[in-house]
Amino acid sequence: MSVDSKNWVGKPVPRKEEDRLLRGRGKFADDIKLREMLYLCFVRSPYAHAKVVSVDTAEAEKIPGVVCTLCGSEVVSATQPFIEIAPEPGGKIRDFPLAVSKVRYQGEPVAAVVAVDPRIAEDGAEAVQVEYEPLDPVIDAEQALTDASLLHEEAGTNRVWSGTFEYGDAEQAFADAEYVIEIDRLHFHRFSSTPLENNVVIGQWDPKDERIYYWCNNSFPSFAIQFLAAHLNVHIDRIRVQTADIGGSFGIKITSYPQMAVCALASKKSGGRPVKWVETRSEHMISSAHGNERTFRNTRVALDKNGVITAITSRHIDDCGAYPRYEPLGCVIWSQVVPGVYRFKNARIEFEQAVTNKCPVGPNRGYSRMQHLWFLERVVDICAHKLGIPADEMRLRNYIRREEFPYTTPNGCVYDSGDYPRMLELAKKLIGWEAWRLKQAEARKQGRMLGIGIGTTLDSGTNNFGQSQIVNPGAPFSGNSQGASCKLDIYGEVVVAVGSCPQGQGHETTAAQVVADVLGITPDLITVRTGFDTERNVHTGFSGTYASQFAVSGLSAVHGAAQKLKAEMKRLAAFVLETSEDDLEFGVGGQGPEVRSRSKGKSVNYWTLANIVNVNSAVLPTELHDVTLNCRYIWRAPFKVPDTKKKYGNLTMTYASQLHIAVVEIDVGTYVPRILDYVAVDDCGTVINPPIVEGQVYGATAHGIGAALLENCVYDSVGNMLTSTFSDYIPITAMNMPKVKYGHIETPSPHSYSGAKGMGEGGAAPVHTISAALQDALFDTGVFIQDSFNNADSLFRALKGEINRLDDLVKMERRVPPAA
Amino acid sequence: MAIKFGGEFEVGRQPEEVYDFLTDPNKFAPLLPEFRGVTVQDAEHFTVKVNVGVSYIKGVADVKLQLAEALRPQRAQYKGQGSVAGGNVSMVAGFDLAPAGNGTKVAWQGEAQVFGRLTSVAGGLLEPLGKKQLQKLIDGLQAALSKPMDTTPGAAS
Repeated sequence: MSVDSKNWVGKPVPRKEEDRLLRGRGKFADDIKLREMLYLCFVRSPYAHAKVVSVDTAEAEKIPGVVCTLCGSEVVSATQPFIEIAPEPGGKIRDFPLAVSKVRYQGEPVAAVVAVDPRIAEDGAEAVQVEYEPLDPVIDAEQALTDASLLHEEAGTNRVWSGTFEYGDAEQAFADAEYVIEIDRLHFHRFSSTPLENNVVIGQWDPKDERIYYWCNNSFPSFAIQFLAAHLNVHIDRIRVQTADIGGSFGIKITSYPQMAVCALASKKSGGRPVKWVETRSEHMISSAHGNERTFRNTRVALDKNGVITAITSRHIDDCGAYPRYEPLGCVIWSQVVPGVYRFKNARIEFEQAVTNKCPVGPNRGYSRMQHLWFLERVVDICAHKLGIPADEMRLRNYIRREEFPYTTPNGCVYDSGDYPRMLELAKKLIGWEAWRLKQAEARKQGRMLGIGIGTTLDSGTNNFGQSQIVNPGAPFSGNSQGASCKLDIYGEVVVAVGSCPQGQGHETTAAQVVADVLGITPDLITVRTGFDTERNVHTGFSGTYASQFAVSGLSAVHGAAQKLKAEMKRLAAFVLETSEDDLEFGVGGQGPEVRSRSKGKSVNYWTLANIVNVNSAVLPTELHDVTLNCRYIWRAPFKVPDTKKKYGNLTMTYASQLHIAVVEIDVGTYVPRILDYVAVDDCGTVINPPIVEGQVYGATAHGIGAALLENCVYDSVGNMLTSTFSDYIPITAMNMPKVKYGHIETPSPHSYSGAKGMGEGGAAPVHTISAALQDALFDTGVFIQDSFNNADSLFRALKGEINRLDDLVKMERRVPPAA
Repeated sequence: MAIKFGGEFEVGRQPEEVYDFLTDPNKFAPLLPEFRGVTVQDAEHFTVKVNVGVSYIKGVADVKLQLAEALRPQRAQYKGQGSVAGGNVSMVAGFDLAPAGNGTKVAWQGEAQVFGRLTSVAGGLLEPLGKKQLQKLIDGLQAALSKPMDTTPGAAS
C-alpha cells in the first residue's frame, strides 16, 4: 500500500485514545496506589479575611491513624515564599501554601492532616482547632483599590499591578470624531471550570535519594516545578513530575503547585511515605482557581460618520482574588487581542489588578483575552444601537479585512490570517438570519422579547512568554518551545513521545497523523506517549497543555522529530539497499512499514532497520555510527522579546477565530432566557482532524453558554462563596445544551508549518453572543446588559427598573466635524 | 451571610430579676436550643456546647459567649463565636429591659453572621432554621421567667 504525503492530516481519523478512555481504561492520578501511601486533608478557613490567632493540632494528632499534621508556621521555617511574577508592590507578597498569620479567602488551607486513610485524615482535620479574629473583608475590586482594608500588609496596597497600554493617538481621534459614546461600567463575572476530575497530587520526598517525586494532574508541570524548586529549596533536577491521563483542566489545574508543595512537605514529615491529596468537588469550587473577574470603567469610544470606530479609551480593573500567583501574566495576556477583530488603531487602556478576599484566579479557558473580547463586543453592539446601524452591518464596517492579513495590530501583534466577513456570511446562512429577523419583528408585535446576537472572537494561541517582561522587565521568560522525540524501537515500532498533558484534546491521534504523513505509513502503526515526565519524556520549560498551542508548538516538535528520524532512516536504508537516498520512498509493504528502492525494486522494513542499529550494530559502517533512530527535536517559536517600555511586540503566533450567532428569547412571565437557535462557525486554519476540532468547538460552546447563563461564583458581603455546590453553581450538561449548528472555514496560518492554528480555548464566543442577543431583545425596554452573566433573576430586576438602565449608563455625543 | 433578628415580649417580673436571670450563664445557657452543657470561665465569659445540624451536616458546636455589655437592670448584650464542621458563627444578641406595668418589657435584637461551607451548602435553610431556633430560645425565656424565681445563685430555673 502506498500512502501519499499529507494524506492523514485533515482526515477524520478516529481518536486513538477514545477506546481506552471510554472503556474506563484511562490511567488517572487517583488510580495510582503506592506502597505505604498516606492521605492528606486540608483544614480550610471559613473566613474570607481573618487573623489566625492559633492553630491547635493536638486533638487531631491523638486520633489513631493520624500520622502527622502540618501548619503554616512549620511551612515558613522549611521553605521560601513562592516566586512572585510581578514586580513590587505585588512582588512583595509573601505567599505560602498554608496560611501563616492571616487567611485571605474562604477555603484557604490553614493546616493539613496526614493519615493512613482518607476518612481518618478528614476526622483529624475536623479536630484541629483554629482560632480566628475576623477582619473586614474586601469583596469588590473597586473597593479593594481604596486600600481601606489591606490583604497583604507587606505589599502596602491591594493594587498589585498597574500599567497603561497606549497606542496610536487617541486624543486626536476623539478630536476628529463625529460621535463619542461613553459607557459608564461593564462587568465580566467570575466563573470557573468544572473538570470531571478534580485536582490530585501524590507527593513523595524520598529520604533514600533526597528527591521529590510527584504523580499529579497539573496541566503545566514545567511551570510548577520552577516554582516548587525555589519554594522547597531543592535543585530542580531533584524533582520528578509525572502526569498521566487528565480528566479536564481548562487551565485551572495549572495553579495546583501550592498543594503539590504541601504534599511534599507532609511526605518529608511522615518519613518519606507518599502522600496523596484528592480534591473534593466543594474544595475545587471554593479554592482551586476561578477565572478573572474584570470591571470596565469610563469607556469612551470615538467613531467617524460611518460608525467606524477610531479609538477606545477605558479603565480596566481586574480582580485576581487573594493571591496573584500565575496571575500578573493576565495583566498583559489580554493585550494579545487589543483591537479584537476590529481595525481601530488608537487605544488607551489603563489596566489595574487588585487582590480581593476571594479564591485566587487561574488561567481559565479563554484566559484574560475573553474578558477583553467580551468588552469589545459589548462596545460594538452599544455603538451600533446608538447610531442605528444593524449589528451585522456594524461589524462589517469595522472588521479587519481578509486582504489586510497578516495584520499588525496597534501593539505589534501579528494576526496571521482570517476572514471575518466570510464567517459572518456563513453563520447568517446557517442560522437563517433573514427568517429570524422576520420572526423577531412578529414576536415583538406580540410583546415577546426575542433577540439575535453576534459574537466574534479570537483564540490567540502559542504565547510569546516575553510578554511577561511587559509585566515585569526582570522576568526571565521569553519565546516558547516544545520538545518531542520520535524513534524506531528495537522491533521497528514507531514511538513518538511528547511532553504535553492532554486532557481530552486528542494529542495521541493528531501526533500520529503528523508522523504518518512524514513516514508515509498509517496512524495505527504509530504509538504516541503523551504525559509529562521530567525524567523520561522530552520537555522544555514551556511543556504542558495550555494556551491553545499544541497544534502549533506540539505538532511542530513532533513534525521536526519525525523528519529527523526519516532522514536517519534514509541514510541507513540507502546503505542497506545499496542505493542513493533520492531513490528511496517510504510506505507500507507486505512486511509492514518499509523503505523501498524505486530503481531496484527492493525494500527494507522498519524491523530490519531498527535491528541493525540496536542489536546487530557490528554491521554498521563507521559513517553511520551517529544514526540512533531515536531523534529528539526542540521546536522554538520565532519570537522576539517585546519592547517593554512601549508594550509593543508580537505576543502570539496564531489567531483562530470564532463567530457565533444566537437567537434568545426571554420569557415574559418567568424572565428565563432560552436559546432558540445557535450557530458556531470556526476558523482554525488547516484542520488537522475535523471531528476533534468540531468536538472542541462544541465543548467551548457549552462552556461559554454555561458561563453566560448558569455559572457564576457568587460571594456574599463577608466573603462566603454561595455557589460552591452544583445545586447553586450549575454546570451546563447535555440537558440544557441547545442544538448547535456548526460550520467552518479555513484560512491557513502562514505562521505554522501545517497552516493550523491552536483553537482549544474557543475565545468564550457564547458569552459575547448571548450578551449580544439579550441586549438585542432588551434595547427597546431601555435595559442595558451590563454584565456577562445573566439569568432570570438579574433580567427580572433589570426589567423592573431596579438596575442597568441604558440611558443612565450610556451617553452619546454627536459632534460637528472640524472644517476640512 | 447575616441573619438579623429581633422582637419583644413582656414578663411579670421586675427588670432586676429579669436582668439577673439573663446574665447568669447557668440559668440562661440551658435555654439555648439543643443545649448540652456549659463551662463558666468567669462572670463574663462562658462556653456553651450545643448540638447543631442542618440536614446531613451535624455536629457539636462550642460557642464562646462573652457578656459584653452589662448595665443592670436596663441592658445586657452577649457577643459570641462558635465553630462547627462546615462553618463558623459570630453573633451579637442584646436585651433591653424596661418596666412595663408590674413586669418588664424585654426587647431583644441581634445579628448572627455565618461563615464557611455551611452557607453555600445550606445557605437557604439557615435563616428559617436560625429563626426557628431563636424562637425556641425566646419561648424558653418567657416560660422560665413566668415560673417562680429560684433565688439560689446559679440555680437553673
